[in-house]
Amino acid sequence: MAETSTDNSQSAGIDLSQFYQVFFEEAGENLENMEQLLMKLDIEAADDEELNAIFRCAHSIKGGAATFGFSDVAELTHKMETLLDKLRRHELSPTAPMVDVLLSSGDSLKAMLARHAGAGGEEVDTTELLFNIRAFVAGEGAIVAAAPQMPVAAEPVAAAPASTAVDNAPLSTAVAPTTGQRVVELRVGPLTDMAVADNLAELFKEITDLGTIEVMPDDASLANVRRFKVTTSTAESELLDLFTFHVAREQVAFFSLEAAAPAAKPAAPAAPAADAGFGFFDDAPGSPAAAAPAASAAPAPAPAVAAAEKASGYGFFDDAPGAPSAAAAAAPAASAEIAVAKPAVAKHAARAEKPQAATLEASTIRVSVEKVDQLINLVGELVITQAMLAQNSRGLDPVVYQQLVTGLTDLDRNTRDLQEAVMSIRMIPMSTVFSRFPRMLRDLANKLGKKVELVTQGEATELDKGLVEKITDPLTHLVRNSCDHGVEMPADRIAKGKPEVGTITLAASHQGGSIVIEVRDDGRGLNRDKLLSKAREKGIDAPDSMTDSEVWGLIFAPGFSTADQVTDVSGRGVGMDVVKKNITSLGGTVEIDSAEGYGMRVAVRLPLTLAIMDGMSVGVGEEVYILPLSSVVESFQVSPEMVKTVGGSGRVVEVRDEYMPVIELEKVFQVPRFDWEHNSGIMVVVEAEGGRVAMLVDELLGQQQVVVKNLESNYRKVSDVSGATIMGDGRVALILDVGSLVRRSRH
Amino acid sequence: MHSILAVDDSASMRQMVAFTLKSAGYNVVEAVDGQDAWEKAGGRSFDLVLTDQNMPRMDGISLTKKLREDPQFKATPILILTTESSDQMKQAGRAAGATGWLVKPFDPNKLIEVIQKVIR
Repeated sequence: MAETSTDNSQSAGIDLSQFYQVFFEEAGENLENMEQLLMKLDIEAADDEELNAIFRCAHSIKGGAATFGFSDVAELTHKMETLLDKLRRHELSPTAPMVDVLLSSGDSLKAMLARHAGAGGEEVDTTELLFNIRAFVAGEGAIVAAAPQMPVAAEPVAAAPASTAVDNAPLSTAVAPTTGQRVVELRVGPLTDMAVADNLAELFKEITDLGTIEVMPDDASLANVRRFKVTTSTAESELLDLFTFHVAREQVAFFSLEAAAPAAKPAAPAAPAADAGFGFFDDAPGSPAAAAPAASAAPAPAPAVAAAEKASGYGFFDDAPGAPSAAAAAAPAASAEIAVAKPAVAKHAARAEKPQAATLEASTIRVSVEKVDQLINLVGELVITQAMLAQNSRGLDPVVYQQLVTGLTDLDRNTRDLQEAVMSIRMIPMSTVFSRFPRMLRDLANKLGKKVELVTQGEATELDKGLVEKITDPLTHLVRNSCDHGVEMPADRIAKGKPEVGTITLAASHQGGSIVIEVRDDGRGLNRDKLLSKAREKGIDAPDSMTDSEVWGLIFAPGFSTADQVTDVSGRGVGMDVVKKNITSLGGTVEIDSAEGYGMRVAVRLPLTLAIMDGMSVGVGEEVYILPLSSVVESFQVSPEMVKTVGGSGRVVEVRDEYMPVIELEKVFQVPRFDWEHNSGIMVVVEAEGGRVAMLVDELLGQQQVVVKNLESNYRKVSDVSGATIMGDGRVALILDVGSLVRRSRH
Repeated sequence: MHSILAVDDSASMRQMVAFTLKSAGYNVVEAVDGQDAWEKAGGRSFDLVLTDQNMPRMDGISLTKKLREDPQFKATPILILTTESSDQMKQAGRAAGATGWLVKPFDPNKLIEVIQKVIR
């Protein structure tokens, strides 16, 4: 294929490698897009628009790959495109195996692109894929052979009479460079000195492996033109390069001599330079056809020029606006062609003008994450300055400083809006996470012999990019778990009166300052007794008095697995405990709900961003600490008789018949005391990692959004502290790591 | 300086074409698809339009047709860049009023060579 072979990254002094990165990104996007479309494709009732969109993805990758010289990518996409083209033209109907092969092809392309991008990896073997795709494409030929090949096949028949000398049509270069030995007629001329033509023939003979050349009888209609019969496998462009040592490029032309040629390549006769890689319409506006009448009066030189152009890979429609004059001779054949073409054109246009999925490209820009983070950081500083100003101005008399106070109020509002707007830059829709699941689930279900359908909801829900990256693995685990342990085998489902195909739902939604991502399945659900006995087997303390939700929570206990046997899907060492730990470390929580026989729901609640947090500030002595609001359950005034000492130093507090450990922040952080008669009388109950503790503090200062600063990178790791923030008055307050404090209470 | 409207939905191709043209001393306006090109073509003239064929929203043939209806673009050379060098495509291109076609992939040299044939 001429279209798929390029070799150079350096041409015209332009280094094509500078465009590689853009191409890789674009191809990656196209592959993602294609995969999603393929996953969504309804084989029974494939939507034309979708098929077109899939085709366009492959087409676009092919174009770039061929241009930038990635011939392996171009070859595979070219084959895919051929298949997809037949699909979108309804010459073939999509089948599940086709979709499978197209998906695997997508995987191979990703691997190839990664290799070209320098990520390493084995060379990708596409032999089987290419074979399969070819088989699909050919399969159509066998089945629908009786049906005419629509316009393409019909045209040559109609066009042939108009084109008076079919076998004189210039040979297609699309065929030439790759086909083997072929016989062509070489015309040299018109020449003033006919000996030059003989020199050419001599030159041809001198070079080994070029082929054979024989002189053909002169054609009376072609004055001063010498004809040769050439048998060669060398590309015409190379021959031209060779001959132009002796004659002008315009004086050399090739014509097909093989009777089989028109049949094999029906497109060729329709226009001069057809399939040659270019062409001009001689009657179109803008055509460089100024000398058209003169040119058509002398038919012989004209095809020569056309042929020369054809060999160079582009072309003009002779009578077209702007087309160069020389190709004018083709006009008669060409105008006949227009008449033939009309129905086809109309059809084509109708298809093309359908509304198509708009690209977002025009309205988006790519910015590095660092730049955004820097912006977020600066806005964070601004927020702190604003809070400081607000605090300092509080004592001012609003009557005297009316304008200043109004200004500060505006500043407050604008800062908040600005902060929100800047934070939203980092927000990306959950669809970027969800999009990976259909494929994964499909492969997994196939492997397990189950039938599962994935439903996604709230894909537009936005989440901080940093969180998106970190939540992907835990979610993957939950989805795998649902498919592996939750959804039953099809036969079991039918036996239970459930639909054969199980459903796993991924749903994201905003709830307050959090995002809630749910993984639901309609599988077998959790069995309380089984979980309890399993837990006891594993030596986990599990009394019968546990509430259902506590029992469900057992699956997050380290080393716990509900599967009767370890499969290579879920039981891979990484348990649900790691999932829970990862989510907790993001400041999130996990909840499980289940009804045996009806399924299970795992809800992951996460803060919207890691950079800003809703916090509750509490005072201990002179210090201020921040508790993540998401972990705060309640707070209450404590009276001395509620607190009991157990086992020497441990203290517990009784809240509604429930005892929980007390943590005295004063002792944990060794807060210096100056007022010896103080009385810490407030308990804040916080929850993390399935446990609750009550923290003893002096006072509750309020709730606010705080900008989280990493303590580790600015100072060093401090136990029980997850970060720090700067308060309105400029003081630093530590953000407590509730999970670590809960763990501390267990020792 | 000659102005060229370069239309392609593929960013890498568009960049390559634009870079090549700019390096050859042309003024280039880029458009991401036919619709975008149609909007950008409004109210100004170009010495050449180079358009991809297969694009979302509006393809190259439809763009060519629309441009030819505009008096401003009646005689402007329009070249279609395409990977399909099929006869059908060419007939559609001709009927739409295109000046010529250039098959992708092409060498940057070739692009300049072709352009110099229509812009002088």
